[in-house]
Amino acid sequence: MPGSKLGLLKLETLARLEETALSTWMRESGFAFFSALTVHSLAMAFVVGINFAIALRLVGFAPRLEIAALSRFYSLHWYAAVFIFISGMALLLAYPAKALTNPVFYLKLAALTLGLLISRHFQATFFDRPKVTNDRRTINLAYVSVLLWVVTLTAGRFLAYTHNTLLASRYF
Amino acid sequence: MIEILLSFSQATGIYSFMNSPWGWPVAESIHFFGLCLLVGTVGLFDLRMMGFAKEISLADLHRLVPAGVAGYSLNVVTGIMFLSTAPDQYIYNPAVQSKFFFMLIAGINMVFFYATTANEVKSGDAISRVLFRAKAIAALSLACWCAVIICGRLITYYRPPYHWCLWC
Repeated sequence: MPGSKLGLLKLETLARLEETALSTWMRESGFAFFSALTVHSLAMAFVVGINFAIALRLVGFAPRLEIAALSRFYSLHWYAAVFIFISGMALLLAYPAKALTNPVFYLKLAALTLGLLISRHFQATFFDRPKVTNDRRTINLAYVSVLLWVVTLTAGRFLAYTHNTLLASRYF
Repeated sequence: MIEILLSFSQATGIYSFMNSPWGWPVAESIHFFGLCLLVGTVGLFDLRMMGFAKEISLADLHRLVPAGVAGYSLNVVTGIMFLSTAPDQYIYNPAVQSKFFFMLIAGINMVFFYATTANEVKSGDAISRVLFRAKAIAALSLACWCAVIICGRLITYYRPPYHWCLWC
């Protein structure tokens, strides 16, 4: 399975990471692992949910709802994003090889990053600017945002089903 | 009960789909998509009623709620798909039972809201008594939906269910 010399080196590094006390605790303590998983899901639901609500408004739902006022929820969104990052790091630490050897993980990471960049753009465009109207480009970007969040969610779910390597340490 | 659910799943083709290579994760993705729609609409409406982002008109924000209902419908459909395909993994599982309990409380709370408070809240007649009741309803609703997500996540923690179920 490890294949090339580089792949072997990578797996060796991941195996060393798996053997650290923190990684072992994250993996073997049901409380730690499921707490991280639960926080990750809750935070993801808020981040994606807020983005869906703003995208819905931008594509024409609830036209009387002021976008500038709705974008107040971005403050909560960024707090939730921090929780996604922290819990994501904890989950990654528990099974580093499971994620880092799976292309689906990088797809999730790319979609998440692009989704957050669009959120940042929307926030900068609409926050505290009641007069701004949503043009064609913004509407298209809102559709792209929804697509990116769907890819993030789907890739996240598929991570559990598509990994080839659960633990790198089994190769050494 | 298990037999009834299984025969329903097999007769409707759900069982075949869920046991196909990508059936289960596809259903899970749709389930979480529905949940995000619910949190992004009903959850934000709850937060607004609790006093967050006071500039937003509650009546206008409420216009997003139908999208949350659509999300909830997706959850119900995919939830039935999970439950009917592997009923032994779900009906004896305390996380599932707790999830249903919180969904029931959220449902009763919603009926109470629309029966007693929704019109006053949406029209902006926020006299202090109504405001307090609306805040309490919103806090309970948000807490229930968060609990639903937590219990949903804990379903796999309580597998296999027979060893953990306190009710069985």
